[in-house]
Amino acid sequence: MELNLSPELRRLVDEAREWGEREVRPAGLEADRNAAPLPPEHPYFRKFVDSGRAGARAQAAETPEGRMVRSVVLGEESAYWDRGMGVATPGAGFPSGAVNASGTAEQKERFLGPFRELKDPHWASFALTEPGGGSDTAAFRTRATRTDRGWLLNGAKCFIGNAARADWILVQATLDPSLGRAGQRSFFVEKGTAGLSGMKIEKKMGLRAYESVSFVLENCEVPAENVLGGEEREARAPGSGTGAYGATMGALNSARVGVAASALGIARAALDEARRFAKDSGAIRHPRVRDELERVLRKLRAARLATLKAGWMVDQRRGNVVESSMAKILAAEIAQEAGTLGMEIVGLEAGAGEVLIEKLFRDAKALNIVEGTGQIQRVIIARQLVGLPR
Amino acid sequence: MDFGIRDDDQLIVDTMSAFAAEQLRPALRTAEAAHAVSPPVRASFGELGFEDLDMPEAAGGAGLGMLTRVLANIALARADAGAAIGLDRVGPALHVLRAFGGDDAVARFARPVLDAPGARVALIIEEADRDLAAAGRISGGAAWVPTDRADLVVGLGPTGAWVLEGGARLQPVPGAGLQAAGASRIDFDGPAAAAWSDPEAAARALARVRVYHGALIVGVLEDATEFTRAYAQERVAFGQPIAHHQGLAFLIVDMFTAVEQARLLIEDAARRMEAGDDAVQEAAAAFVEAVEASRFVGPNGVQILGGHGFMRDFPVEKAMRDCRALGLLAGGLHRARDDAASLAAAFEEA
Repeated sequence: MELNLSPELRRLVDEAREWGEREVRPAGLEADRNAAPLPPEHPYFRKFVDSGRAGARAQAAETPEGRMVRSVVLGEESAYWDRGMGVATPGAGFPSGAVNASGTAEQKERFLGPFRELKDPHWASFALTEPGGGSDTAAFRTRATRTDRGWLLNGAKCFIGNAARADWILVQATLDPSLGRAGQRSFFVEKGTAGLSGMKIEKKMGLRAYESVSFVLENCEVPAENVLGGEEREARAPGSGTGAYGATMGALNSARVGVAASALGIARAALDEARRFAKDSGAIRHPRVRDELERVLRKLRAARLATLKAGWMVDQRRGNVVESSMAKILAAEIAQEAGTLGMEIVGLEAGAGEVLIEKLFRDAKALNIVEGTGQIQRVIIARQLVGLPR
Repeated sequence: MDFGIRDDDQLIVDTMSAFAAEQLRPALRTAEAAHAVSPPVRASFGELGFEDLDMPEAAGGAGLGMLTRVLANIALARADAGAAIGLDRVGPALHVLRAFGGDDAVARFARPVLDAPGARVALIIEEADRDLAAAGRISGGAAWVPTDRADLVVGLGPTGAWVLEGGARLQPVPGAGLQAAGASRIDFDGPAAAAWSDPEAAARALARVRVYHGALIVGVLEDATEFTRAYAQERVAFGQPIAHHQGLAFLIVDMFTAVEQARLLIEDAARRMEAGDDAVQEAAAAFVEAVEASRFVGPNGVQILGGHGFMRDFPVEKAMRDCRALGLLAGGLHRARDDAASLAAAFEEA
């Protein structure tokens, strides 16, 4: 990866590479061939948990690099072997940031506690996107209504990772759509809750190794204590807090960096495939091929530096709104380009649809869509740079 | 991994930026017309101790590293890249002398230039090697060098380098950009004061020359994007600032993103050099990125100002010309791309 890493982080990268090559890539290819996520009982997940790679202990290893820089480096390595399998990883990955930031002590213990030392594969999920709105989080329609016993949720969510297999889903809902973001809250919806229904696992072009799920909330009743941040917070400032939305957007800020890191991994995998093929076929001697490979290498390096910088700013607690969106744009676009160029270089063999580059080409496209499309990132940056009105 | 600026460097950047804003920027057009930085500005640059910033300590300089040079060049070029070249009288030739002849060559050839008021070095990047063994005499020329004086001429070929003391004839030319540095056609003929052949040194030297010019390009582009951003928020069309039309908003974002990529790569190459790496491939790639960014940002800076951009009342037309001219130096884009691509093809892993 041509980075100057501390020995501690280098060791973690080496471990991730060894695990990735031996376990993750074959599992990802299997899911891709089956055109379906690996089932929760697939031996891979058991092996993952038994390997001790899950839970807090595995995350806590200290490195001189800050947490976010380390997570960028490891995120790239993980996605290099299979980005879809990375998302399918057992644990409380996605919602844990919001719960850690805004949850009560009781909620952290109750919902995150079981994930600290996983004995069996378990998942948690985070549900934001709705059929009528992706990036426009302020426009979500899922409603939360107060009842004597707790909250009643009504609405629909889509493209939610790991939702069908999750022990609980952190669902974003609004108390009053007219309040916009201020009216939004997050709710823990536990598996089997009445009214949580219509689970549909989507068929996808790529990243097939994890479930993207649509579901419906129909008079889905959750207990009062399941609102993120707790009832007391609600009593202090009813309907006016920026809690859920703030926590969500705060998490998205490092989330963009995380997605950029994944895109770097896909880009590097595609570049390696393209270069390996170009060497084997002799195409690398052609100046035009060399130039195209050089361009991807250069843009990948710039995207990696941008992503590391955005991550470094998180570690330094410096605002990184512009930098994280730039990193997301650059990494996602170069992943797409690397996959596309790889198809060109591998040629008809890629057209046959049985080689890795063809999968990477499909996988990469998603990275310019999830966590805010490339266009949304430009809107975010333009708000900062030129005061583009909301 | 650190993307911060060292305290020492920050001090230099702050001082240079203030100097550039107060003394270079207001004189932008007069220096351009005069083909020279004015003597008082030159004097205050010297008083600030900036003339021998990266000259090795053994040659009486401050001995600062490549990243410092990059930051200094960006700060100066944000005001006027032509003046930045004119003020750095030894310029990137320093790295050629140092790569081939070490501190001794710097002390012997570069130091006297700095000690002679107004003296300048012309750097000639050559595409073919000379038969240096048979040499004795060096003769040739170049259609454009960004200087009005050449007390010393340093040549850098693909595998060798040479030095000529005196023997250069300069003839003023209008210049496409960077006029504050001077603009001349150069012809030279004389006995070589030194000649070396060392392919690795040549690669190392060219890498640094590329990073040096790449940093100047980044400075020009940063200024152009900042100017454009401010203008586009003030200029109103169809009832709102033009920056709030999404077509322009996205273009401005893409311009900033392009400059940031170039800056990241240039700084990264410089950091690698300070860490003892030759960074030959990285420097070539960074230069390519800077030139490509300039081809996108330069013309679009003018575009966003529309008719005003085309007028010399605004600095964006100068930025477009300056960054285009900078990309012709350091051996040009195509050679850098060749180097970056052939070295990248040899990499085992990305």
